[in-house]
Amino acid sequence: MAEHLGEKLIMTLKLGGFKLSFDLITLIVSWIVMLILIVGALLLRRGLRGLEEGPTRRQALLEMAIGTLQRQFGEGFQSRELGTRLFPLVATILLFVLFSNWISIIPGFTSPTADLNVTISLGLMVFFLSHYWGMRQKGFFNYAKGFIEPKMLFPLSLFLNFASEMAKPISHSFRLFGNVLGGGILIAIVAQFMPLVVPMVFQAIYGLFIGAVQALVFAFLAVVYINIAVEK
Amino acid sequence: MQGITGPEIVAATKYLAAGIVMGLGAIGPGVGEGFAAGKALEAMARQPEMRTDLLMNMLIGQAVTESTGIYSLVVALILLFVVK
Repeated sequence: MAEHLGEKLIMTLKLGGFKLSFDLITLIVSWIVMLILIVGALLLRRGLRGLEEGPTRRQALLEMAIGTLQRQFGEGFQSRELGTRLFPLVATILLFVLFSNWISIIPGFTSPTADLNVTISLGLMVFFLSHYWGMRQKGFFNYAKGFIEPKMLFPLSLFLNFASEMAKPISHSFRLFGNVLGGGILIAIVAQFMPLVVPMVFQAIYGLFIGAVQALVFAFLAVVYINIAVEK
Repeated sequence: MQGITGPEIVAATKYLAAGIVMGLGAIGPGVGEGFAAGKALEAMARQPEMRTDLLMNMLIGQAVTESTGIYSLVVALILLFVVK
């Protein structure tokens, strides 16, 4: 078990004075996920028709799916402008995380989201984006004023606000990482002493169901964090 | 007592600590998620037409509640696989 977890193909690259390490499996599997998403999008885009001809069945299904996502996520944003600007990004994060979680049901693939580097980069992306939009919507002065907010406890409140902001990307990314990694470990342990049918049931629960729920939660929390940063 | 050396004590306490972390860390999320599910079921029984919305919000709330359990999982994994 420990060997299975620790087994990583690390490629190191020397660039000038820096040493960069890449986890090859994570890198390649996340490229495969991106390839699936891009090729799927290009295939689905082919043969879209306008209003006068009416949609094909595939297009109707696609429009329904996008409409559902738009209702759940795009309209969750505070203002319409934010919704139109950031819905594509949130939907992309959702699809990437969803397919990264789901790809682990193919034998031999490990989820890229079971690697903390992937989830923390997604979390930091949402973090910086939310602060950028907070500054942009409120102006820099108002944004900075938010950090000393209960003014009565001035030095303490600065520290508290700072800590709570720092905790956001950490909890955001650790939640996804822990769920996916924990599910993978559970499946590996179960497969050791019940190798036949039972791991499939666990794959269905942990790979598919929990993976989908966690992807939804990750995208939803991205919307919530951006909303908080904008309105505060 | 003579055969027990330092690394063995570290290994033993490491496994013990991982078990305690997981056991205690699972209490809070278990209670919290059960509470959320119970309240959501009550609301669904009262207004069955709201079921999909309630289910979505319940799952999101539960996943947020779960994060403390996930933290203890991460700590347990660090204890098991990283601490030497």
